[in-house]
Amino acid sequence: MPNKDAILSFEDLEIHFTLRGQILRAIRGVSLDVARGEALAIVGESGSGKSVFTKSAMGLLDANGSIAGGHIWYDGKDLAAYRTEKEWLTIRGKEIAMVMQDPMTSLNPLKTVGDQILEAVLLHQGLRGEAARQAVLEALAAVGIDDAPRRYRQYPHEFSGGMRQRVVIAIAVACRPKILICDEPTTALDVTIQAQILDLIKQLQKKLDLTTIYITHDLGVVANVADRIAVMYAGDIVEVGRCEEVFYDPKHPYTWALLSSLPQLGVKGQELYSIKGTPPNLFQEVKGDAFAPRNPRALNIDFVERPPFFEVSPTHKARTWLLDPRAPKVEPPELIRHLRQQGGSRHV
Amino acid sequence: MAKYIGKRLLRSLLTLFIIITIVFSLLRLMPVEGYFQNFEKMSSTQIRVGLQQLGLTDPLPVQMAKFWKGVFQGDLGVSHKYRVGVSVLDIIGGKMPLSLSIGLCSLGIALLLGLPLGILMARSTRTRWKIGDRLGTVFVVVIQAVPAAVYYLLIQFYGGRLPGASMFFDAGRPATWLLPIFSLALGNIAYYAMWLRRYMVDESNKDYVKLARAKGVPTAEISRKHIFRNAFVPLVQFIPTSVILTLMGSLYVESLYSIPGMGGLLVTAIQTQDNTLVQALVLIYAAISILGLLVGDILMAILDPRITLGQKEGGR
Repeated sequence: MPNKDAILSFEDLEIHFTLRGQILRAIRGVSLDVARGEALAIVGESGSGKSVFTKSAMGLLDANGSIAGGHIWYDGKDLAAYRTEKEWLTIRGKEIAMVMQDPMTSLNPLKTVGDQILEAVLLHQGLRGEAARQAVLEALAAVGIDDAPRRYRQYPHEFSGGMRQRVVIAIAVACRPKILICDEPTTALDVTIQAQILDLIKQLQKKLDLTTIYITHDLGVVANVADRIAVMYAGDIVEVGRCEEVFYDPKHPYTWALLSSLPQLGVKGQELYSIKGTPPNLFQEVKGDAFAPRNPRALNIDFVERPPFFEVSPTHKARTWLLDPRAPKVEPPELIRHLRQQGGSRHV
Repeated sequence: MAKYIGKRLLRSLLTLFIIITIVFSLLRLMPVEGYFQNFEKMSSTQIRVGLQQLGLTDPLPVQMAKFWKGVFQGDLGVSHKYRVGVSVLDIIGGKMPLSLSIGLCSLGIALLLGLPLGILMARSTRTRWKIGDRLGTVFVVVIQAVPAAVYYLLIQFYGGRLPGASMFFDAGRPATWLLPIFSLALGNIAYYAMWLRRYMVDESNKDYVKLARAKGVPTAEISRKHIFRNAFVPLVQFIPTSVILTLMGSLYVESLYSIPGMGGLLVTAIQTQDNTLVQALVLIYAAISILGLLVGDILMAILDPRITLGQKEGGR
């Protein structure tokens, strides 16, 4: 049953894709609660399934993908049972909106920016005519675009990358959603703009009382914005906890490896850490801990049985046998121990 | 915008001028018998006098200047062979309206059937068995691959047996218009369907379509307001040319159904060596082709705001 405090609750979610007759198990039984009003970051490498996972809550999976099991609870309804477009239209935009990765391509090049925001206003705010136009101008101003009446009539190619991402955010916000999914919102932007966009989203979250879900592989972004982190690997969440818990006291070997490969933690003159090997082939059944083959500290049982979640604290849990009381004591890499000592005193 | 149109217009006029100059100069190399009706019976003195009267012994630049003067006064000369003494503009003016009306009807039908077919095919690519797309593709491939002459003949042969229809054209009987119009439309239906399908499939895979879905726009509306609208822009460029080309008529369809249109005129003019008529026809054809391209480009610029107006126009 759905968690009462959660606004969105994934329960044993399984997502399969059919590719050339084979079945790819992109999401393998993931449960995750998203608390009302929080900023949750889902981190993981490319192909780990973080994007697919969140898209499933909007019914935006590609045609060859489907929810093969589990539930997505939102407002007492199970979105995993939604089949028709009519059902999904009650969710898309209206309840959950999305900011996509590449602002250069996610706006229609032949429509004015104003019209594209207007589309969202007409669909979701129930306004018409001049009132709708005013709402668009407000949305433009709210995302920090000056001279809104003039900008309204301009086309996307007359905007810079950062400005276009602001427009995309304005579209999402103009839908008046409860949840905002930001799918790598800063990946395509240059570094100086990244911080501005993140600040903008944070500020809007507070102002509009939004719940935000960030999807990213940039831990710098996470540290900046997230209350909570879920680490995803090979279609499964391996560790979830509050931001400082995951950064300063990580428990899963994959999280260790991920943090160790942060350039910010590298020592000058030494080669930056990188995770050996490749993620498992999801066309085949994954046995045990998906990360075991790449984990130099893997236990024997990691290859045999999938670990359950072990609670570290009420807010922090990890899916690794290392937390089993019977497990031998395995020390995290030195770099991670070092982080732990710094815990709280310094940000990553 | 005005600046862009002005520039393109000037460039078009320059192109036209160059084409006409070349054609005009080349036609001066034609045998002079094309200027006289009974050349065989004329003595060399008569020929020289005749040529002098026509101004053909003048130096080339002088002839050219006279020709251009005539063009600006709406006088393209008189026919010497095809219909002796009749102004070529009258000859053309008597034939063009018929070709134009048949051509426009067929183009209208091509757009009315071709565009929906393209939309249907594009939308069908998203369904499980893609039946619409497969059937449509068969149609497009057949029409594109089979020589038009073959299906024109089949249409005339079998269509001509339908009640009310006829194997020959009769301007007074509307039913006889149908077969030639339909024949002409077939190729364009396939053409528009093929390109619209392709552009729509391209557009529907773009990110902005995903964003539109994410903001809750219904599929049918995305298809209409975003995908079709954007996919139509590259097609718009060809439509003015298609419209204007109907002026030329279709040689094959017009001769099949004995339609007294523009279709065979240029061929006949060349065969009978009616130099003035050839010259006038080439001028008109060149002008309308250039006009078609010009209007197409201007339409594109109006519909697609990304086309930079002014400085950077080296792109096309």
